[in-house]
Amino acid sequence: MKLDHSQPLEYSTDQNRLNILGFWIFLGAEIMLFATLFTSYFVYEDRIGSGPSGADIFEITPVLIETIILLTSSFTIGLAIHAMRINRTKAMTVFLGITLLLGAAFLATEIYEFNHYYHIGATLQTSGFTGILLTTLGTHGAHVTLGLFWGAMILIQIMKRGLTPQIANKSFIFSLYWHFLDVVWIFIFSFIYLKGMM
Amino acid sequence: MKELFPMKQVNGFIFSMLLTVIALSVYFLDMSYSVALTILLVTAFIQAGVQLVLFMHAGESEDKTSIYTTTFYALSIALFTVFGSLLAMIWGYMF
Repeated sequence: MKLDHSQPLEYSTDQNRLNILGFWIFLGAEIMLFATLFTSYFVYEDRIGSGPSGADIFEITPVLIETIILLTSSFTIGLAIHAMRINRTKAMTVFLGITLLLGAAFLATEIYEFNHYYHIGATLQTSGFTGILLTTLGTHGAHVTLGLFWGAMILIQIMKRGLTPQIANKSFIFSLYWHFLDVVWIFIFSFIYLKGMM
Repeated sequence: MKELFPMKQVNGFIFSMLLTVIALSVYFLDMSYSVALTILLVTAFIQAGVQLVLFMHAGESEDKTSIYTTTFYALSIALFTVFGSLLAMIWGYMF
């Protein structure tokens, strides 16, 4: 295997470089997936039928907690990649571990929120608005859940095998995924929650 | 310890928190709908840009043209889908 040492570890082989480009193309498809969800949300936003509206059910506290947690986790995964690039494997695993813990905390808050919606009668079947709201939030939450398992597998691999070019590449791609989920959340936070509450 | 917290990342984090606070002003302050929506649009897209360029290292590798092309392609499809549907189904139009 040819290693190019002028590049960061995750870019060091041609295959690794292509993996990263391929993942960007996947993220492009993800952007379009979330765009269709946002489209349906904006179309159905006011179709509340006899159910509650956004202003009735949104609460600023859990939303703010989720936003701060996810922004912080996006920062710590960035630090993990930086630590990886300066060959600080131990520090990298710590930052990756913190990221996953924050991800779990985000998910716990979201589960609390969904439970709350269910108990006040905002379910998938209530109205066009609650249906698309829960679908959009749920799709993002499912991505975070997948990311938690994915990140945990990478963490185990780093601890068992150390930082090989392949694992560095996987870690970098995972960081792209995690940052992307943060970007999607920013749009959910701004155009679903804040727009619904103002 | 210090080398683990590069200025670029720390500043990016502080900046993204700042953008969140600015976005929050639409909830806590009293303002018109169009002003609030403008604030949200500006902060959300800057926030996305910070993540993309700073944290996702979009412009660092040789294939950055391909990365930006695929991102802007996806973004334009996204915007056409959202605003096209809004035009056809919510705002309406007159001949």
